[in-house]
Amino acid sequence: MEKRLIKKDALAGIARKMVEELTVWAPVKKEDNVIFAPLTKDAEPFFAYLNSKNAPKQVFFPHTETLIKYTRTPKGMVFSAEENKTDKAVLFGVRPCDAHSFVLLDMLFDQEKYKDQYYIDKRNNTTVITLACAEPPYATCFCTSVDGEPVSSDGADIVLTDIGNEYLAEFVTPKGEKLVKYFGEAKADAAAEIKKKEISEKAKKAISSKIPAHEVKPILDNNFEHPFWATIHGKCLACGTCTFMCPTCHCFDISDEAKGSDGVRIRSWDSCMFPLFTKETSGHNPRISQKERWRQRVMHKFKYYVDNFNAIACVGCGRCVMSCPVNIDIRKIIEDISKL
Amino acid sequence: MQNPYIPYPVEVTKIITEVDTKDIKTFRLKFVNPEDEEKFKYLPGQFGELSIYGKGESPIGIASSPTQKGYIEFTVQKAGVVTSALHEMEEGTLMGVRGPMGNSWPIEFLEGKNIVIVGGGFAFTTLRSLINYMIHEDNRKRFGKITVIYGARNPGLLIYKDELLEWQKRDDLNINVTVDKGDATWKGREGFVPTVCKEVAPSAENAVTVICGPPIMIRFTLPVFFDLGFSKENIITSLEMRMKCGIGKCGRCNVGSKYVCKDGPVFSLAELDKLTKEY
Repeated sequence: MEKRLIKKDALAGIARKMVEELTVWAPVKKEDNVIFAPLTKDAEPFFAYLNSKNAPKQVFFPHTETLIKYTRTPKGMVFSAEENKTDKAVLFGVRPCDAHSFVLLDMLFDQEKYKDQYYIDKRNNTTVITLACAEPPYATCFCTSVDGEPVSSDGADIVLTDIGNEYLAEFVTPKGEKLVKYFGEAKADAAAEIKKKEISEKAKKAISSKIPAHEVKPILDNNFEHPFWATIHGKCLACGTCTFMCPTCHCFDISDEAKGSDGVRIRSWDSCMFPLFTKETSGHNPRISQKERWRQRVMHKFKYYVDNFNAIACVGCGRCVMSCPVNIDIRKIIEDISKL
Repeated sequence: MQNPYIPYPVEVTKIITEVDTKDIKTFRLKFVNPEDEEKFKYLPGQFGELSIYGKGESPIGIASSPTQKGYIEFTVQKAGVVTSALHEMEEGTLMGVRGPMGNSWPIEFLEGKNIVIVGGGFAFTTLRSLINYMIHEDNRKRFGKITVIYGARNPGLLIYKDELLEWQKRDDLNINVTVDKGDATWKGREGFVPTVCKEVAPSAENAVTVICGPPIMIRFTLPVFFDLGFSKENIITSLEMRMKCGIGKCGRCNVGSKYVCKDGPVFSLAELDKLTKEY
């Protein structure tokens, strides 16, 4: 594995240099938030951030995306083009929890039988550079409870770890190695690796928020009808913020937008929190109230995904905890379930 | 590999109004590119996403049998945006279809057994596909006795009327058509489907029943089959849920860990017992 040492202040320069050849998604300041956005030549990436407001899944699975185009003919509207644009890109400086989410999304979008080429093409064309958490950014971080670590190469092509005065850059995949030219010639020594190990252990211990994410699986298996499910949703506004912020939520809607003779079929993020999500034309709705919708959200992440892919669909980023306008806390819910 | 979100172009070549109320029509679709017919290789019980550009898509069970070559058919009730647009269409119009999707009626499991088909109202479509598949000369000997019990609220709501008459002429098919209430011209059987099932009383010996209809019909028909000695493994049905992608990604049609679009829509009662009741 290629390893390099990079001066702390060189990181922004590397990202800017990449902009000349690649689309570079990097954390940038926008109003009060840090978000991932394509870097322009003179924009300043902000690597001293905690975590981004938005989950970087949008790079592979955009909020709204055109799937196909169609056009009017004398015999009716017909398909005209597949819309699947992918640029060579770099996702520069994602946190390990978010990089972990890509591995989870791959399981869904890149299945053997049904391949979602829109997702897969963007994924294949994008190199993921993880910026490890030397110190856990938030008190709400719980990655270690859901198979993650603050310093981890899961889902990454290149891992950057702050080892004091420098970053240790590890090129963990062949895709990552292709970008080694941007990172200078300073090879990493054994001392850097020892330092990284220390930081990694320390960071892991510093994650104080823990949830029994694995332990609840057998309880969820047997308690679909438990009265507990009626106790979560009382204050839920059904705003869907938790699902839109979530790095692993992948539910979407497909809709048509036509204007004049032309139109597009788009997919947009959807949410299991919305009443219309499962409402059928007949009026029947299998998830009739917010209670059933909350059960679906919890079950999907901590049971159904485990049943189908042997992985928990939560990365412990804490975005849903921090963003919920009525302070519903998934950590508390999982904790409560473990005591049922 | 085929992008599963791109529909095959098809032409509506024939539209049959099935019922007196005119809100159920059968659409015969011909693939614009003949090679697509081979790609759309299906089995009875599967469904397709009917794609009307500018309106959207609607998941509908395939009503034709794979033994019918040169076209596919869907019987559609006018209900929402897409199906209403479809009902406005004329023969010769171009549209799209994605699929085939989902599992199918368990053909291999049905082979060598006596088959009891129970259908109610407009839910008869994929059962019609199965009947036409089984009675095709290439397939008939693979299956034992075939008994069909099909009912609608009144004679005007029976679908596939001409075909029902054709089937009645055959001696390798026991077909029982019933209506809840007849009219002045109706000479056939009157009575609810569960009652007729009790009267016909098909033997459970080496038999499987495939049942599809409104929930109320299923609710009252199941006890009849339990009394006749059918096990839950030998009662097969099909579920419906709101769907979008049809390929297990958009996340709305799951019942527990199973996606109706990709792991269903066909389940045995024994399989359904293991799932949650969220449908």
